[in-house]
Parts: sequence; C-alpha cells; structure tokens
Amino acid sequence: MDMVSMGLLAAMGALATIAGASEDLESDVGSQSNPNSQVQLAAQVGHTHRIYNKAISGEPPSNALYAALAAVVASVLMSDAYGMNAFFSIAVGALVAAIFNGILSMTSYMGRNASQARFNQYIYLDVLRSHTTTIMAHAYITAFCVVTISYIMTATWLPIQHPFPLPVIAFTWGIALGAIGSSTGDVHYGAEREFQQYPFGAGLNAANSGDIVTKAEAGLRSSIDNAWFCAKFGGPVTGLAFGLIVFLDNWRTTIFDPATQGWYAIGTGVLIVVLLNVYNRILEVRSKKRYGPYPEYVGDIKV
Amino acid sequence: MSVAAGGGASKIDKTKLTMYGLGGGILGIYLAHVLNMITGTGYFSFLAGLGAIAAVLMGADAVRRVCAYGIGTGVPSIGMMAMGMGLVAAMFGLAVAGVAGPIIGIAIAMGFGYFVGMLANKIIKMNIPVMEEVLMSLGGAGAMVIIALSVVISGQIGYQDMLKDVIFTGYIAIVFIAGALAILQPFNANLGPDETQDRTLVLAISTGGLAMFAAGIASLVTVGVGGAVLTMLIAAVIWLKAFLWYFKLVKRDSAGVIGTGLLHEGGL
Repeated sequence: MDMVSMGLLAAMGALATIAGASEDLESDVGSQSNPNSQVQLAAQVGHTHRIYNKAISGEPPSNALYAALAAVVASVLMSDAYGMNAFFSIAVGALVAAIFNGILSMTSYMGRNASQARFNQYIYLDVLRSHTTTIMAHAYITAFCVVTISYIMTATWLPIQHPFPLPVIAFTWGIALGAIGSSTGDVHYGAEREFQQYPFGAGLNAANSGDIVTKAEAGLRSSIDNAWFCAKFGGPVTGLAFGLIVFLDNWRTTIFDPATQGWYAIGTGVLIVVLLNVYNRILEVRSKKRYGPYPEYVGDIKV
Repeated sequence: MSVAAGGGASKIDKTKLTMYGLGGGILGIYLAHVLNMITGTGYFSFLAGLGAIAAVLMGADAVRRVCAYGIGTGVPSIGMMAMGMGLVAAMFGLAVAGVAGPIIGIAIAMGFGYFVGMLANKIIKMNIPVMEEVLMSLGGAGAMVIIALSVVISGQIGYQDMLKDVIFTGYIAIVFIAGALAILQPFNANLGPDETQDRTLVLAISTGGLAMFAAGIASLVTVGVGGAVLTMLIAAVIWLKAFLWYFKLVKRDSAGVIGTGLLHEGGL
C-alpha cells in the first residue's frame, strides 16, 4: 500500500459520495423509481398535480445508460485517434449523457401525463422547462463522478489497472449506484414526503395509494420542493451509502494485495458485512423501540 | 384491458409490424455489411442503424401488447429480458455461423423466447395468452438490435471483428443498455389508460434514433470519422423528426398542453 493508492482511494470515496447524493436528488426531482407509481396513481384517484413524472425505468438501468454513454464518449475522445485530455473527455461524455437524460425525461413526462387525459391531467410546459434542466444538471454531476471513478480504476498510468474496459466498469457502477439510490434514498421521498399528511412512520396503507400531497406550504407543490426536502437527508444518506461501498470495497484490496493476499481481502469483506449487519440490527431494534407504536411501549413523555 | 397499465386498440396489426421489423432489421444488417465490404469503407454502417430502428419498433409493440395485461412496474424488466435473451443468442449465432450468424442468432433468440414464454405460462401458470408469441418477438427484436448496433460499430458481421471492436473495447455496454431502453422506453413512457399505439410507436422511432446515435459515437474510433458522422447525422435527423411528431401526438391525446397554470377544476 503506497501513498498514491491511498490518495486515489480517498478520491474515489469522495466522488462516490457526491455521485450518490446527486443521483438520488436527480431521481427525486423526476419522481423516478418507487415514488413514481404513486405520482402515476394520483391523477387516477382524483389528485391532478404539477409534479414531474419521469418514468424512464428503474434507477439502475437508467443510470447504467448515463454512465455507459458518458464512458463511451470519454473513451472515444481519449483514444489514440483523438487524444483528448481525460478530464475534458469525461466532461464532454457527462454532457452527452445529461442531454440523453433530458430527452428521455421529457418524453416520459409528456407521455405519462397524456395517457391520463381522462382524469384531466394537464401537461405544464413551465414544469417541463424548469425541472428538466434541474434533472440534467444533477445527472451531469452523477455521470461525471461515476466515469471518473471508472477511469481511476482502468487508467494504464494509475496503479489499479482493472482488466475490464472503461465503459463496462462505468456500466456496472451505474447499475450499483442506481440500486443504492433506489433502495436508500427513495424511502425518504416515496414513503415520507409524498405522504406527509399521515403520521410519521405509518407506512403506506394500500387504501391510501395515490393520495399524495399535491399542495405545498404556499401554492402547489413542485418536484423542486421535493428535491429541497430530500437534500436534507435522503440525498446525503444515499451518498454516504454509495461512498462507503466504493471506499470499503476498494480499501480491502488496497491494504491487501489481491494477487498474494487475496484471502485476507475476502476475509475483511466478510467481516465488514457481518459488522454492518450487527450494527443494522441494533439500529433497527432501537428505533422500533423508540418510534414504533407497540402496545407495551407507552412513550418517553410522561402524562 | 387493465386500466392501470392501459393501452388503446391497435391500429397497426402485430403480424405486419413483426414482418416489417424482421425484414427491415435483417435487410439493414446485411446491406450495411455487403455495401461496406464492396466499397471497402464504413459509410454504409448507418443502414444497420436503420435496421435497429425497425427492430426497436417490433420490440416496442411486443412490450406494449404483453404489458397491457397489467404489468406496470414490469415494463423495464421485460425490456431487460429481451436484451438478455437476444445477447446470448446473437453471440452464439455469430460465433458458430459466420456471415449467416445474424439469421441463426435471431432464429435462436425467437425459439428461446417461445420456450421462456411456455415456461411462464405452463410451469409458473401466469396464464397470459400472448406470452409465448410476445416473448418470441421480443427475443428476436433484442437479438436484432444487438447485432444491428454492433454492425454499426464494427462495420461488418465477422465474429472476430465484433470481438475486437465491440466486446474488447467495452462498447457492448452501450449497445446493450441503449438497445434495452430503446425497446422498453416507448411503452413505459406512455403507460396509462389513454395510451395510443401510434404515439408509442413514434416514440419507438425516436428512442431507436437515440440508440443509433449512441452507436454512431462509438463507431468514431472503429469505422472512421466519415461513416460515424454520417450515422450520427442521420440518427439526429430521424430523432428530431420523430420527437416533433411525438409532441404533436401528445398535444392530440392529452387533456391539455398549457404554458403554465393551476390544476384543472376539481383537481384540488
């Protein structure tokens, strides 16, 4: 383990944290993934809305597309034929990915709302203009960070030198990032923000499907309000989760050389998983005791 | 028809679409290969891209037919399944059959799809009447999109060329995922009780154009600047035309496309 490897590891962890946060907020502005079905149902149960409905696919495939596309553009520009500097190549790649994201987002918003015509769901062009650019900006940051991580892993002048080509590594990280964003961050938006009128932690009763909050503190709720809310907790916690995955996974192969000490690296990985499981269990029991409406628990406040 | 997933009546018959998709896809792939070989250039790679768009149309209509049975959140999964079946069959076909590879690959993918559909209906007992036929179309469309976009990048059909230009460079990642989104996005983006077939298919042309554009970018290194720029230019024109057409159909079908404003009366 040398200082360069340790520095690169820290850089990858930091980039992954930023990518995780921006990915979650990007999906929240567009109500992608799990919260999407509630936005879709809202008009059908009588709540027409001004919330962006970006039904591209689940987050893993769509982020795999942005990351792979940005990586393909970057690797084309960095190839011997064009010889562009890596930093600018990745920047141009992320821009192309953001444009693709914008196109797919716009067609989803228009298509899904046009298919709700019988429930009087309008298509608002100002929502389209203001939100699509916000989504694209977040997607740009995500794609840039993911491709930079992949570049650090594959560049021939850096120590890691993964045998897979850049687009395939970026594709895999894109799927991983989308999965983290979908499982970690969406809870904050889909289960809490959309159902703020119900008690905290109440879960979603099937009878309440589609009964989402469409009015804001003042005026009608927009998806940028939702991103503002999720930026307080859901986005950062997604970033932390993805950052930890990238950092811990690469840390164990940095301190133990995979060629000679492979089993130590595997053992460390298993140990990390066991420790995190124990920690999660403690956290779950503790928070259920504190917040869960169990009959034997009367609460902290004495009447 | 399920209201949740929706879908209006089909104006264009499925057999016609499947035939056009298969014919257009195979014709595009072979024309690109033969013309590139005769002229010794990469200028005709765009023909394979046009073939990919035909295959996307066939796949998107198949997704539409099966998902009208109430598979709402399963739309992306169906698209991924199509590409999974297509990728395995396409690579097998190209590896064993040389220039006849695409036809063998597509045939195997369709057989594979039929078998998976039969498993879903007979063993898992999903009892969706169109399952076998739809998965057959989807497998074929997936294989065709993968082969066609790979030919855009490599310029010809040979397995060794594909390995060198598409697999080892990692461009297979974009071929796979851009192709998958091209097939699944049209119905996924239009899902709802007032979905119409023409709007979905026009969006399929648009997403097919995007996939062709992405493959065109990758071909900048492999077939050279001339052929790649031609592919990207044609893809961009197709996308723009289809996007404007789609916006027209959205205006036709929606409750209202308005600049700004409050909710419809009774919405609050």
